[in-house]
Formats: sequence, structure tokens, C-alpha cells
Amino acid sequence: MEKILHKERLDDWIAALSDREILSPALEDGVWAFRPAGAAVRLDYPNTTQPPKGLAFPQREVFFSFEQVKGEAPLLRQTLPQVAQRVVFGVRPCDGRAVPRMDKVFSDHVEDPYYWARRKQVAYVGLACQQPPSSNCFCQSVGGSPVSSDGLDVLLTDLGERYFAAAVSETGKALMMAGESLFEAATDADRAQLQGAHAAALARPQRAVRDPDALPSKLKASFDSPLWEELARACIGCGICTFLCPTCHCFDINDEVTGAAPLKGKRVRTWDTCQFPDFTMHTSGHNPRENSGARLRQRVSHKFQYFHENFAMHQCTGCGRCVTGCPVGIDIVSVVNKVAEHAG
Amino acid sequence: MQDNVYLPQLARVVRIADEVAGERAIKTYHVEPLDSAGFEHACGQCAMLSIFGRGEMMISIASSPLVKEYKQFTIMRTGRVSLAFHELAVGDVVGMRGPYGNSFPIEAWRGKNLVFIGGGVGLAPIWPLITTAMAQRGDFGDIGVFYSTRSSSIMYRAELEALRGQADVHLEGWRTHQAGVAAGTAEQTVTAENSVAVVCGPPAMIKSVIQNLCQLGFADEQIFTTLENKMKCGVGKCGRCNVGKDYVCVKGPVYSWAELKKLPQEY
Ligand SMILES: Cc1cc2nc3c(=O)[nH]c(=O)nc-3n(C[C@H](O)[C@H](O)[C@H](O)COP(=O)(O)OP(=O)(O)OC[C@H]3O[C@@H](n4cnc5c(N)ncnc54)[C@H](O)[C@@H]3O)c2cc1C
Ligand code: SF4
Ligand code: SF4
Ligand code: FES
Repeated sequence: MEKILHKERLDDWIAALSDREILSPALEDGVWAFRPAGAAVRLDYPNTTQPPKGLAFPQREVFFSFEQVKGEAPLLRQTLPQVAQRVVFGVRPCDGRAVPRMDKVFSDHVEDPYYWARRKQVAYVGLACQQPPSSNCFCQSVGGSPVSSDGLDVLLTDLGERYFAAAVSETGKALMMAGESLFEAATDADRAQLQGAHAAALARPQRAVRDPDALPSKLKASFDSPLWEELARACIGCGICTFLCPTCHCFDINDEVTGAAPLKGKRVRTWDTCQFPDFTMHTSGHNPRENSGARLRQRVSHKFQYFHENFAMHQCTGCGRCVTGCPVGIDIVSVVNKVAEHAG
Repeated sequence: MQDNVYLPQLARVVRIADEVAGERAIKTYHVEPLDSAGFEHACGQCAMLSIFGRGEMMISIASSPLVKEYKQFTIMRTGRVSLAFHELAVGDVVGMRGPYGNSFPIEAWRGKNLVFIGGGVGLAPIWPLITTAMAQRGDFGDIGVFYSTRSSSIMYRAELEALRGQADVHLEGWRTHQAGVAAGTAEQTVTAENSVAVVCGPPAMIKSVIQNLCQLGFADEQIFTTLENKMKCGVGKCGRCNVGKDYVCVKGPVYSWAELKKLPQEY
């Protein structure tokens, strides 16, 4: 379904979706974040600091609560999320491409009921990038594109006074149907304008990971390279690179105790990261990834080798957040390029 | 496996046995599922055990799949959750989810000689193999059991003694710390021909014993071990046990040395 939406009708479309929760980029304390949209949705944002990953995979999630009188069997209450339907506006194509990657992880082998309870309720309305929103964008070199609709339900492209709206899923069609009278049919001239806008977007220069197809084998060959230690020397293990990433999914599970007699508490999942030194540490003190070089290698190899070996795609969408966010300037593009260069 | 993979079944501790005393004490537990069917398991699989308020830990199921009424776990006191296990009394109720991981291909080993080498609490993951093989003794050739530990205490001592006569039992037989040396006892009794060796223990011990076995002529396909990478979810999502393209909780914990060699050395 391809339609035209005049920009002044965007708010009406959002009003027509009022039985759903609407989120859109908002500037709060100098940070762009997806927030519940008020009356007006702003799509003049660069990119959000965090991807919309948390809508399906929140940073903290309660699995169940427990209550136990000493010596007796505990009472467990599972807390599967009950969330309303949500539509998130202004998703960049790189973040859209993260969605099928996260879906893979949370459905491979067994389904994750918490992820899917949320995920099924979220629809993604994307906005094509006409300018790279960050100087660290490299989506094109990792198989994406600033106008990709992968993982999105609707892709909007800015045509000046109007948006070109293309539904890419059944959910997307339903969203557009909800505001049917607001949309106009797209003409051939509109399509030609769209193609021009997309061609221009694709021609804008970006940073580039060189020869991404060769990376799985080059990384494999570089496993024992001393380069990793050198490249990771500055790393302070803060984990920002993974917490900002739209495709990183590692987590921890812990019990939070809220009362002693009877014992009360919750079992909680929280984001975790392979960049923390104790992530893989055994209780004995043995740590299979002892130094920051091994941990950087894990992050990069997981994205460009292991995930590729399992699912035939890179687990990096080129959003550039890990580069922009790293306090010590560790840059996945140059790391990957240097390692690949050394592998020959 | 349950619909919600993160929701444990409740299970009652029906027996607790002291194995080893001291700082890193070891105890064995028999656990029976409460008001639920429980689950079947295969040799080598493990379960995520919970103490509510403390958390979860991954533990090998140490009983034979032939035993249906209870699951056996042998737990060393190391950290937060295992400590809480060591404070339990018979009758207490814990959480259990699983079974997780792959299993030893014991069906394929019929007619072969079996050599088991356990170090410390690493005897637990191979105990279901030993007890299953003993229950079907006629199906296998010679069976050798080697056990060594850093302390002088031997876990499952009575059970190991009871194997004598049917199996070649060497307690403290394989001095793993003499890395690279195919130690005396083993050399005399272990032959590679038509044999399978299963090694389980601390990572350093596994690595040196595998070297020994290779020197004795064992091919990579004849040597099996288990990885004990840190685990949290057990179902291939949390990423903690990731080694190369494998999530050890799903693809492992059982590996032949041939398979293990294909993975990066991050265990
Ligand atoms: C496949 C497999 C099989 C195994 N089989 C056995 C076996 O048969 N027997 C055996 O004894 N061991 C076995 N182990 C090892 C066993 O899993 C570990 O020894 C166990 O996880 C120790 O758990 P713990 O909570 O006692 O120790 P810890 O490692 O200290 O704690 C585990 C987790 O608890 C949390 N935690 C700890 N302290 C705190 C704190 N202060 N605040 C908040 N959270 C905290 C952390 O998230 C930590 O990762 C096996 C391991 C694997 C992977
Ligand atoms: S690895 Fe970095 S650039 Fe790639 S998707 Fe994650 S945050 Fe974006
Ligand atoms: S953001 Fe930078 S310093 Fe922090 S863990 Fe990642 S690479 Fe290391
Ligand atoms: S324990 Fe979570 S992925 Fe293996």
C-alpha cells in the first residue's frame, strides 16, 4: 500500500490511532528519546540516543514474583507483560533492521514469552534518512540502506510538504487504514519523486566497513591476533557500546528481595554486557575472557562472525551509536577494518 | 519444557548427603518435583536450580535417566546460590527448570570400553553415564573410573567402592596436575582401541587430561567432555555462555574433543 500524507495531516493520523499508545522522538534534557507523543509528533530529529529496542526488550523486566513462608512451598506469580498496542514513529531504517535480528534471537530454539508479549504489540513506523543522521552512520556497508524498510511496518519518506507512506506489513496496512481518509493515492509523479529522494539518499557519503562479506573468515583468522589487546587498551568496560546497540541482547537474571518474613521478592531480568569483566567469570575465579582485548573481540566477532555463521546476516546495522557513545573513542568501524586488514 | 521457559517448577528436597567437608564443601541432593510431572532428561543434561531470594545456578543432573522419581544434584559450595543450597534441610522446596543442553551419545557407545575421568565435583556430570552403564553392564566392554581431587576427600566414595569388581576403579588414580604426563596407573589400564573417554573437571584439568589421552592414542572423536561456561538463561538468549557460534547451554555442554577444537578457546 503506497499513499501520500500531507504533513499537516500527520497529527490527524496519530489522532486516528488514539486507541494505541503512540511514541515518537522527543528532546528531553538535550537527549533525543522515544517518548509518549503529545499532541504533535516531531520527525525533525537527528536520531535517538537509544534505539527503540526497549519497547520489546526493556532494560528491566520482572519475570515473576515469589512469596515464601519459611519451610513451606513458595507461591510464584508470573508477570507476563500486559501492554497496550503501541506505535513508535520515527524509527530509522538501521533500527528497523535490528527488529528481525532481535526476533531471531528471541525465537530461535525456544520462544521468549516476555519478549514476544511486548513485541507483538509494537508497530514500527520508520522514516527514511535523507541525510545520515550521524557522522558515524555506516548502514550501507553492512547491507542496509538509509531507505530500507526491513523490519518496519510503514516507511515514511519526506517529500517536502508531504510524506510518501509505504506499508510493508499487514500491521502497517492496518495503521494506514485506520486513517484512510487522510491519505491520498500516490501518483506516478509521486513515485518518481520518491525514487529521486531515495537515490539522493543512497548517494550521500557514509563511513564504511570494508568488504563485510569477508569478515566472518577474516575475524576467524584473527582470533589470536595481538591486535585485539592493542585496540581495546583504552576500554574502561563501561558497556555503553552494547547498551546503546539496537541488536545487543545479553541479559542477567537476579532476585530482588522486598520483604523478609514471609520472604517476598521478584525475579528480574536486566540488560547485561559481554564488556563487563565478570560476565563470563566462573565462581572459581577462572575467566574465559580475562582481558578487555578478549571482550572487544567477543563483541565484534559476535556481530560480524558468530551471528553470521548462525543466521547468515551481520548483527550490526551500522547505526553508529556505539562509536558516538564510547567515552574513549573505540570505534567499531575502524576496529573491524584494522583487524580485517591485518588478516590480509 | 514449560511454556514459560523462565518459570521454575517447584521441587522438594527429599535427601541430603554430605560428600566433602570444608571451605568448598560438596553435598548431594535428591529432589522430587512437586504437584507436577517433572521432566525426563538424558545423560549430560543439566537443570537451573533456584532458591527464591537468592537466584539461580546451572547444575548437572547427576542421576541416571533410568531413575524417574527424583533428580540428583551434587553441589559444591562456592557462591551465592550454592551457599543457600548448603543451608537447606530435607523437606525444603526449591525451584527447578530444564532439562537444558545436549547429552552424551551413550547409545553409540554400546560394545565399547568406557573410561571415565572425573576431577573434583566434575564427577557429577558423568555420574549418570557411569550409573547407566553399570545398570546395563553387559552392553559395554571394560569400564574404568578414575577420580582425583585437590583435597583428599572423595565424593561418592561408597558408591565408587561399590563399583569395584564390575569396573576398574582408581581413586586418586589420575594425577592431573602432572600436566602432559600420561601417568602410571592410567597407562597400564587404559587403551585407546575401541574405547571412549569422558573427562570432566576444572578447565585446567580437562586440558591436561585430554593431552594425556591423545598421547595414549585416543583420537579426537573418542574423547568427550563438558563445558561449564557461566550460564543464566539456559535457553540461548542471555549470551553469557556464548563460545564462537555456540550457546553452550543449547549446543553443549557435551562436546567431543573433535567438536571442541572447532570452537574458540573461551572456556
Ligand atoms: C553446565 C553446567 C553444569 C554444572 N554442574 C555443576 C554441578 O553439578 N555441581 C556444581 O557444584 N556446580 C556445577 N556447575 C557450576 C555452577 O553452576 C556454579 O558453581 C554456580 O553457578 C555457582 O553459583 P553461586 O550462586 O553459588 O555462585 P556465584 O557465581 O557467586 O553466583 C552466581 C550468580 O549469582 C549472582 N550473584 C552473586 N552474588 C551476588 C550479589 N552479591 N548480589 C547480586 N547477585 C549476586 C550473580 O548474578 C552471579 O552470576 C555447573 C555449571 C554449568 C554451566
Ligand atoms: S554494533 Fe554499533 S553500529 Fe552496529 S548496530 Fe550496534 S550500536 Fe549500531
Ligand atoms: S563504550 Fe567504549 S569504553 Fe565502554 S565498554 Fe564499549 S568499547 Fe569499552
Ligand atoms: S545461558 Fe543464556 S545463552 Fe546460554
